[in-house]
Amino acid sequence: MSALIWLHEDALRADHPLFAAACENGEAAPACFIWDDAYMADMGYGLKRRVFIYETLAEMNVEIYAGPLVTTLKDLAARHKATHIITGKTPNPLLKSTMADMRETIKLSAIADEAFVQMDTIPELKRFFKYWNKAKKKAFLFDGRA
Amino acid sequence: MEQEPTCFDTRDALVAHVKALSPSLAADDHHVSPICGGRQAAAKKLAAMDPVAYGGSRNYLDGAVTKLSPYIRHGVVSLNEARNRALDYGDVKAIEKFVQELAWRDFWQRVYKQNPDWIWADVEPYKTGFHADDYADTLPDDILAAETDSAAMNHFIDELKSTGYLHNHARMYLASYIVHWRRVKWQAGAEFFLAHLLDGDPASNNLSFQWVASTFSNKPYYFNLENLQKFAAMQAPCDYHTNKVLAGSYDDLATTLFPHMEVL
Repeated sequence: MSALIWLHEDALRADHPLFAAACENGEAAPACFIWDDAYMADMGYGLKRRVFIYETLAEMNVEIYAGPLVTTLKDLAARHKATHIITGKTPNPLLKSTMADMRETIKLSAIADEAFVQMDTIPELKRFFKYWNKAKKKAFLFDGRA
Repeated sequence: MEQEPTCFDTRDALVAHVKALSPSLAADDHHVSPICGGRQAAAKKLAAMDPVAYGGSRNYLDGAVTKLSPYIRHGVVSLNEARNRALDYGDVKAIEKFVQELAWRDFWQRVYKQNPDWIWADVEPYKTGFHADDYADTLPDDILAAETDSAAMNHFIDELKSTGYLHNHARMYLASYIVHWRRVKWQAGAEFFLAHLLDGDPASNNLSFQWVASTFSNKPYYFNLENLQKFAAMQAPCDYHTNKVLAGSYDDLATTLFPHMEVL
């Protein structure tokens, strides 16, 4: 199995758990970021944001390619002979839709970032303080867990 | 398919390359933030953060805020890392407000994941005495141009557009002004903020706007000039003569802003 890391703008950190998930036999997988102008316009990202993202990418060991997200990612997967794409988990519906498109042709795993608090049960997410009353039991613990 | 460069002699050269890769950008979108991206810049913010001082001064526009938010928004710094660092600075009480602010981000992300439809739709009706249809769909030109009837709001709009950053309290003031003083739908304000904020996140930004608007809270958030002068006097023009529209007691402002609201 050969992995390709697909970075998106919600997971721009070299020690994000997705990198460990993509590491096989101690060998790091190649990482890419697809610069999709149309997607960025859909997200409402202006010049300030785009510069911030590019500056962040420029410090990382990542290959940047410009083009439509899904087709460029598929082309890259083919070029790298990747059988598995690994990316960061996100609630962003547009990125989740892209992940669904990719899964039609290749295995894709979305890896969650390290948790702020480990919670056994999901609290009611209607008002912050209902969440906080549960979260604060672990929020002041290292790694958010006992 | 060619790989894009990652080494540039100057920041201007990087910016020029980003522009070349971004034909969809509006012609008048030319501001670049003084805040730099990247883990190195984030590490400096982490090293400088003071979560104890944050707790006592965070509401003041010159308070000890960390400005980590653009880095947290893009995963450059995780909430876990920021919290773990804060643990070195003091006991639970000393760092409570800082950790709670991190928790707000965690909360908004969980809400986003569980209810993606809430990001652009009213979660609940407005509790202002007005119906959603009573609010304008788009931002007036004077807000976009920072030429409103409040010098402080104009200052915040200019800062937002030129730097991509606003102190959280300034965001609340401006969001409240847009929704309650100008009676504009929170969605229009949220879209404007998202277009400029480096840390703009659909969950944190839009759900906070809904909290201000009262469509995701029990009552509208509003303020008066006295409150603005207390927290922002040294960072924005807060004199009475250029901010008359914000002046008054909370009761008087409620009568003006929410004439149909029965109980506040």
